[in-house]
Amino acid sequence: MRSPSLNAVALATAVLLAGCDNTGTTAGEPILPNKNPFPSTYQVPVSSALVIQGGNLLTGNNQQLDNTDLVVENGIITAIGNDLQVPQGATVIDATGKWVTPGLIDVHSHMGVYPAPETSNHSDGNEMTSPVTAQVWAEHSVWPEDPHFEKALAGGVTTVQILPGSGNLIGGRGVTLKNIPSLTVQGMKFPDAPYSLKMACGENPKRVYGSRDMLPSTRMGNMAGYRSAWIEAGAYKKSWDDYVADINSGDEVDPPIRDLRLETLMGVLDGEIRIHNHCYKVDEMAQMIDMSKEFGYKIAAFHHAVEGYKAAPMLAAENICGVMWADWWGFKQEAFDMVRENIALVDYANACAIIHSDDPIQVQRLNQEVAKAMSAGRRMGLDISRAKAIGWATLNAAISLGLEDRIGSLESGKNADIVLWSADPLSVYSLAEKVWIDGALRFDRNDPSVQPTSDFNLGILSAGESRP
Amino acid sequence: MKYFTRLLLLSLLTANASAESILIKNVDIYSGSKTLPSSHIYIVDGRITALGEAVPETADRVIDGSGKSISPGLFNAETHLGAVEVSAIRQTVDFYTDNAEVTASLKVADAFNPNSTLLPHNRIHGLTHALSVPESNSGLFAGQVALIELGNPPRVLNDSVAVAMEFSEYGASLAGNSRAAAMAVLRQNLADAIDFSANKNAALAGQRREYSLSLADLQALEPIIKGTQPLIVKVHRASDISNILKLADEYAIKLILSGVMEGWMVANDIARANVPVIMDPIYNLPQSYESLGARLDNAKLLNDAGVTLIFTGMSSSQSTHNAYLVRQSAGNAVANGLDKNSAIAAMTTNPTSVFNANVSTDIKVGAIANLVLWGGDPLEMTSEAELVMINGEQIAMASRSLQLRDRYFKAAP
Repeated sequence: MRSPSLNAVALATAVLLAGCDNTGTTAGEPILPNKNPFPSTYQVPVSSALVIQGGNLLTGNNQQLDNTDLVVENGIITAIGNDLQVPQGATVIDATGKWVTPGLIDVHSHMGVYPAPETSNHSDGNEMTSPVTAQVWAEHSVWPEDPHFEKALAGGVTTVQILPGSGNLIGGRGVTLKNIPSLTVQGMKFPDAPYSLKMACGENPKRVYGSRDMLPSTRMGNMAGYRSAWIEAGAYKKSWDDYVADINSGDEVDPPIRDLRLETLMGVLDGEIRIHNHCYKVDEMAQMIDMSKEFGYKIAAFHHAVEGYKAAPMLAAENICGVMWADWWGFKQEAFDMVRENIALVDYANACAIIHSDDPIQVQRLNQEVAKAMSAGRRMGLDISRAKAIGWATLNAAISLGLEDRIGSLESGKNADIVLWSADPLSVYSLAEKVWIDGALRFDRNDPSVQPTSDFNLGILSAGESRP
Repeated sequence: MKYFTRLLLLSLLTANASAESILIKNVDIYSGSKTLPSSHIYIVDGRITALGEAVPETADRVIDGSGKSISPGLFNAETHLGAVEVSAIRQTVDFYTDNAEVTASLKVADAFNPNSTLLPHNRIHGLTHALSVPESNSGLFAGQVALIELGNPPRVLNDSVAVAMEFSEYGASLAGNSRAAAMAVLRQNLADAIDFSANKNAALAGQRREYSLSLADLQALEPIIKGTQPLIVKVHRASDISNILKLADEYAIKLILSGVMEGWMVANDIARANVPVIMDPIYNLPQSYESLGARLDNAKLLNDAGVTLIFTGMSSSQSTHNAYLVRQSAGNAVANGLDKNSAIAAMTTNPTSVFNANVSTDIKVGAIANLVLWGGDPLEMTSEAELVMINGEQIAMASRSLQLRDRYFKAAP
């Protein structure tokens, strides 16, 4: 009798062999891994038609339409204009003097994976046990009852990309969620949204692993770490491509053994998983771009791009979004060269500029972050309209997620993710009054029954208390 | 000879600058206490000489203030300004120490760096004054709080306006991971400070008992136990606030509360004790078990109860590097029910009054100008600071950040 683990290996081999016998029964068809083993269970709720009348619309795609109506049927925007026909049984909202925007989108959030309260039992955002953990999926850490979600909803945020943290070179898969109450993360998952992969440049990975005397402890170590991973991923992809080719040419061959880590990286090389890359500095962005060309993949966005203004022409040429704060700086050396005009200047260079929060306080007022970024740009003489600026938190964000065909703007045919604001959304005094997701009212400031609250909040201050 | 010429030139320039008269017309003026809509303000030699309708018609410089506003210079009451450059670079961080022998005796003012890039960055966006506050690291007491002015050059106005300490969950962790232990440690510290103060010669000669703090720390606590200097206690949970109020009453301590995310739950007790609070009205999350009751109308509810509010702003991560964003937090307090004048007072006249700052942050005739001309409403994020005067001098709109911008976008349209 040897060690139990050897028995386990023997058992696993037996199962695998049995699996191979099964493949024989379906000769000619390659057996490929299920790419969606945790499918979204989200269903668009049935709701009556909706007409929002007479609001000032910031459409998200660079238009301001004052005193305009908007019609929603079956969760989809069906018409925008004046004096539109009210569908049978429609809910009619008088938005005179109020403002209407698409639902805000935060492409960099850790809600659910670093929930409130910030205690170790729920601190699940950074798998810092190896520099490359492409095998972990943020959705498996999301606690749907995180009280952060409802606060973000009250700030008009309808879609969030939840990312793993930045302690690793390659931190794992991100997931795009609809900001709705749900018992399960599957119930929040945006149906058919592409997956993302979090990568991180710079100080964080080299600090985390350098302190353990292992690679990476330097920026050159960072680069070596990513490149080694992509080389492995390339070989893994070839093994699957070869397997499929062999099956297709009639050979009876076993599929390669699955490797979750390399499977995600292969998804990037296949163009199915989008790279969202934490990267502050222009010199590192340039190296990440060269590396993406070396291995044949595309970068969707650089996050925390504090030096976006230095990289702006490069971002435009490579069609990579810059994801930025309005004004955060100084917490690390790589965040030292902040300019308040950053977002405005990336936009001015015709690159895709996006506001993000990375923070449960900021996510509640992305509209104010847009206001600050717009104001700084105007102060230096750039001509930036509100209509343009709101796109930084809506359509451009949707583009970086690969969801611009469904969300991010008020247009016929798009999902009815809509915020009704009490005043100009770029005013500090403006509050989200109503928030619809897919045409269903999910938040109403004037109706406590439409103010979702986490199980966590019930009776937490005093027995019997319930509050939004 | 060359040196002499330069001196002469400099004095001429200074004389010219200070003798300048500025008239700002039709501007909304927010003093700490009231609003003067579409009014005029006349400033001569850095001093406000006329306000309202009856002002001279001409000046060296006349500014049309239509659609603009003037507020007192902003004051952020919880920063580490002058004591940090890059938070993650320990060598640039002086607002806490790893030396357990130095707690209440740590003076942030001793580390103040007037050349910090954070100071011009904040003053061009309207921050004129701040407290630079130490943080606890090994004991409950953090050290002595400095009052600073961000003029040119920035300077310490008072190197010790208060002693700061922690009685939050973090403070409990420093005292052995129990609130009860933190209270026992605090009582022992205060008893030792009283004993030291009453028997100083014997204590210095080593003829008293062994104390829980160093002699330097006990000396720093003397004005606290004598009630001549305020003790700023960081605390959040309602029951912790109540316990600190009781303790302050028992020891006759001049108390200022800081943090107070659950302050609204005991607002009347705070008001009755006449204790001001330093708070960031932006917090509304149960980020810890001591802030389960955090809510956006905390400032409004405390104000309604009669508590004097003093603001810091935009959550701890940026409260120093972007200390000027105290006005964004103030704006959000107004959006959630606080009246605008109270919000402005909480980041201008309230802190200068509570900390006896020898500066006039109010907009009134005879005051040396500490004020900001905003492009619009003073709390709107779409309003930029267009003119900032600190201690009567107009400051240059220059910062490292603007230099970086101009290097890359010199030819902006």
